[in-house]
Amino acid sequence: MNTLNAKIDPRDGKLVMAHFYVAFIALAVGGLAGLLQTLVRSGKFVLPAGIGYYQILTVHGVVLGLVLTTFFIMGFQIAATSRTSGTLSNLQRKLGWIGFWLMTAGTLMAATMILLNKASVLYTFYAPLQAHFIYYLGLTLVVVGSWVDGAAVLGKYISWRKQNPGQPSPLITFMAVVNTMLWIVATIGVAATVLFQLLPWSLGIVDRVDVLVSRTLFWYFGHPLVYFWLLPAYMAWYVVIPKVIGAKIFSDSLARLSFILFLLFSIPVGFHHQLMEPGIDPAWKFLQVILTFLVVIPSLMTAFSLFATFESYGRSKGATGLFGWFKKLPWGDARFTVPFIGMLSFIPAGAGGLVNASHQLNQVIHNTIWVTGHFHLTLATAVVLTFFGISYWLVPHVTGRVLTKAMNKLAIYQGVLWAIGMTFMSGAMHAAGLLGAPRRSSFSEYGGAAQATEWIPYQIAQAVGGTILFVAIILMLYIFVNLAFFAPKGEEEFPIGEVSDKAEKSPMVFENWKLWLGITALLILFAYTIPFIDMIQNAPIGSKGYKLW
Amino acid sequence: MAKMELNRKTKTEIEDSSSLKGTLASVFLLGFFLIVTWVSVYFLFLDRF
Ligand code: HEM
Ligand SMILES: [Cu+2]
Repeated sequence: MNTLNAKIDPRDGKLVMAHFYVAFIALAVGGLAGLLQTLVRSGKFVLPAGIGYYQILTVHGVVLGLVLTTFFIMGFQIAATSRTSGTLSNLQRKLGWIGFWLMTAGTLMAATMILLNKASVLYTFYAPLQAHFIYYLGLTLVVVGSWVDGAAVLGKYISWRKQNPGQPSPLITFMAVVNTMLWIVATIGVAATVLFQLLPWSLGIVDRVDVLVSRTLFWYFGHPLVYFWLLPAYMAWYVVIPKVIGAKIFSDSLARLSFILFLLFSIPVGFHHQLMEPGIDPAWKFLQVILTFLVVIPSLMTAFSLFATFESYGRSKGATGLFGWFKKLPWGDARFTVPFIGMLSFIPAGAGGLVNASHQLNQVIHNTIWVTGHFHLTLATAVVLTFFGISYWLVPHVTGRVLTKAMNKLAIYQGVLWAIGMTFMSGAMHAAGLLGAPRRSSFSEYGGAAQATEWIPYQIAQAVGGTILFVAIILMLYIFVNLAFFAPKGEEEFPIGEVSDKAEKSPMVFENWKLWLGITALLILFAYTIPFIDMIQNAPIGSKGYKLW
Repeated sequence: MAKMELNRKTKTEIEDSSSLKGTLASVFLLGFFLIVTWVSVYFLFLDRF
């Protein structure tokens, strides 16, 4: 790894920070919306000035699920590539800036339409709910911008391979490349539905839209979307955390293999979000459920590898017994502890995921607030706390400052508060969901139905959790501003783990993109071609647009 | 007295510093938790449908 940059070039650092500013503004706006949602749902609070519940829910979902994530990930992947494969070329950096501005312009367009109450269609923008066309156009620009941004990472990777023939690329660059490929293949689906269906329909060029086709294209994108969020967190877990705690990466090959498996198995599985959808043959749903369950393999490989890293480290520090290593971990270091809370939350999150993906069990929880509880553990805890953990060193690294002892302590409080708040909120969401409480529903007593009365205590618990979470968000924003503008000048390390010297060299087959993208394409064609033909041949007359808010 | 000390010494030496038995146990516990969660919702399903 001869081109390793101990410190990222300031020009690349500026590009990274631009992405992070937007991400953290999104956190502020979305966090406030989240708090308001829980308050409204508790029945103790009414939104002022005629603002609608679905309007703030759209703000929350778009700004946190789509904007915060995409901007943070693009920034982090550029930073990781620049750190391990060398400074971006001027052209690559220019691509990064063009991508950033396209995404920002798109975000502003979509946000304007939501604020004007012309696009309260929730972040999944399911037809036949119909938004203003500028909303769809804005989201298209976000996606196109992310492709241009991704081109910077791919370009750097290609030039690294040219300069280092026959060498495996640096692990974290490789991972950023897998995630970029995953994103490009996945977003083709959402681009297709927006360009060919939703835009012509919202512009009034066509009158009706095929709802099933648009939802299928959405979920072709929607499931890999969650892996696009998760893989950057895995990058930190596999590569950064070992260095933070002073251990070695357990296995380079295992990490690469698990990323390749995520690329293969996270796309041809969108039907597991459509198990309750009529119009899709159950045999094809079954096939995609099997492919979904194959993702258990790389997930458990990741769990094994992390436990092994922690145990080896603890034992090298003299830990004994079955779990003695646990106590040796550096609990006082926020760069470790905050992502670790994220890892822990992934255990109940994964268990819930297995329930969601099983056809019969999906009937128990489908469209209940259980689902919201689930992705606030995966995305809004495992992923987001890892992103916060990354910010604690990456922001000062690029701004030439340091994470002080006081900020480190505050960061740990932030993580612990998040864990407490989320235990209340997500726990109550899971429980109420099992009792049948719907997601995406403003406060309602459902005409005084006895069943709805059962849900109300859980909704109060969600508001308690939401309030604690909001305090944690304020702490996070305070720490971010401190690290970006006020912390003392100094050098903060960008931790990149080294592979244990006992490990063997990784085989080059992992870099064979023709092979992996070829298998990905085959699996997608296998899982989608026949059901798609079926949907189009047997399509009902499409639906007109509805604006129900 | 001497015997006890000897015992203690061998005991710490058996503990292999490259052992991953805690990892094995953790992964088993994790698998167990996944199965228990799944089965409990499965029974809820049987109960309701
Ligand atoms: C202050 C912290 C947060 C609170 C209090 C909160 C609260 C909520 C609530 C109550 C809902 C569901 C409302 C409903 O279904 O009626 C929701 C939905 C959602 N949340 Fe959060 N949340 C928080 C943080 C986050 C974060 C950090 C993310 C992602 C990074 C996130 C992503 C989402 C998404 C994507 C939805 C789905 C919106 C939809 O169904 O259209 N949330 N949140
Ligand atoms: Cu999914």
